[in-house]
Amino acid sequence: MKKNIWANFSSWVNGTAEGKDPYEISEKVQPREERKRFKLNEEQKMHLFNLQYKIVAAVVCLTVVGVLLYTLFQLPLFGDPRNPAVNEVVERYVEDGLKETGAVNMVAGMILDYRAFDTFGESSVLFLAVTSVMMLLLRDEKNISKEEDIQEAHERIIEREASDPILRYVVSLVMPCILLFGIYVVLNGHISPGGGFSGGAIMGAGFILYSAAFGTDAVSKFFNMKTFRTITSTALLCYAASKAYSFYTGANGLPTGIPLGTPGAILSSGLILVLDVCVGLVVACTMYGFYSLFAKGEI
Amino acid sequence: MTTAFELVLIIGLMICAISALKAKRLLVTVVIYMAYSLLMTIVWVLLQSPDLAITEAAVGAGVTGMLFLTTLKKIHALQGTKDE
Amino acid sequence: MIKDILGAILVFLGVCVMVIATFGIYRFKYVLNRMHAAALGDTLGLLLILVGLMVLSGWTAGTAKMFIIIIFMWLASPVMSHMIARAEVLTYQHITEECEVISNDDCV
Repeated sequence: MKKNIWANFSSWVNGTAEGKDPYEISEKVQPREERKRFKLNEEQKMHLFNLQYKIVAAVVCLTVVGVLLYTLFQLPLFGDPRNPAVNEVVERYVEDGLKETGAVNMVAGMILDYRAFDTFGESSVLFLAVTSVMMLLLRDEKNISKEEDIQEAHERIIEREASDPILRYVVSLVMPCILLFGIYVVLNGHISPGGGFSGGAIMGAGFILYSAAFGTDAVSKFFNMKTFRTITSTALLCYAASKAYSFYTGANGLPTGIPLGTPGAILSSGLILVLDVCVGLVVACTMYGFYSLFAKGEI
Repeated sequence: MTTAFELVLIIGLMICAISALKAKRLLVTVVIYMAYSLLMTIVWVLLQSPDLAITEAAVGAGVTGMLFLTTLKKIHALQGTKDE
Repeated sequence: MIKDILGAILVFLGVCVMVIATFGIYRFKYVLNRMHAAALGDTLGLLLILVGLMVLSGWTAGTAKMFIIIIFMWLASPVMSHMIARAEVLTYQHITEECEVISNDDCV
């Protein structure tokens, strides 16, 4: 039984499942007179439905807007010191954050130390998203017809012949600066604004620019499916391992055996730098992976 | 409390949001969405969260717009606008 | 004092150029003409505003950053205009009615 389910599922994923096509149009034709009367009736119903739909939609919208506005006016004023947002948690983050995490940038200390588990979830969500896109859009011989193949080859020829010398020259000037800036933002995440996500997005945008100028073949020389898989899974596992170590030693600001260093130096704040680099790698690979999958159907 | 600059930004955001919905062509919608992201970046800077501002500028205006445009090219929505 | 006045004049000129560029975008009807107006604001307007801000801020780290912004915008903006024009020429079939097109072979 279990094997049967698996076989069904794999045939469904491969698109070779047999069975009745749910979109098949039944060829039964009704007699002419009856059909005409039915159609008129249907039109009247449709008209009534449209009217009701508009009224109900307006009522629902107004109700939701009213409820939200009412809630908004019940909220405490912005910047009031007696707000529930300004309680002992925030006080601890603000006052002890630098001492406990060693990060000058308080946001990095919060998202990569106190709330690091959330960030792990976010990185995993990105990884899952690119996996699902791969399931839908990855090219293989089962979901590509011959015409699409010919069109693809045609587009590739156009891409190669129409590549622009001005764009290529300027991109070869700008691209190292973009990558350097991305690496700077990632490595300085615990000192200045930025961090893994922003720096990774900048690096991914740089790769997208490079592949737009030189064609996707140029990028696939140093970044293909294998490197993508290796980098993302290694980074996620590294993140999980270092966070597991932090939880094992008690988390919550207890000593972990990793020196925090002087605040403000590059090699400081314990695990935050490692986590930043992991998140940056995952995000950069994911961004370029999305673009490549959307544009060409392969990495 | 709200300065004139913030007011202009917020009105601009509202105009962008509504016109992105009302635009007839998908390409125009994508471009307006990218403009919305850029305005949002300035709002994040004014709200003193530069981390979010960098991310919004890189993801919202850069990568997402690029992905939308690639999708439009893929579903041949750009070709239809040229034929008319 | 002179620094403030000079900076203010430069920023004002830059804003004027930007306004002219915006009006130009709305007044012209065809893509290539509009692009011409938009490129004016992106290069000259940005240069004037940022030089004004550099004069106002004096010798700080911010000045160097503004200088780098100018370099990057001057690298990126003309290439962007070039790519838009190229896409327009390559994809619009009635391009010869709008302007004169020199094919690539004639240039070389």
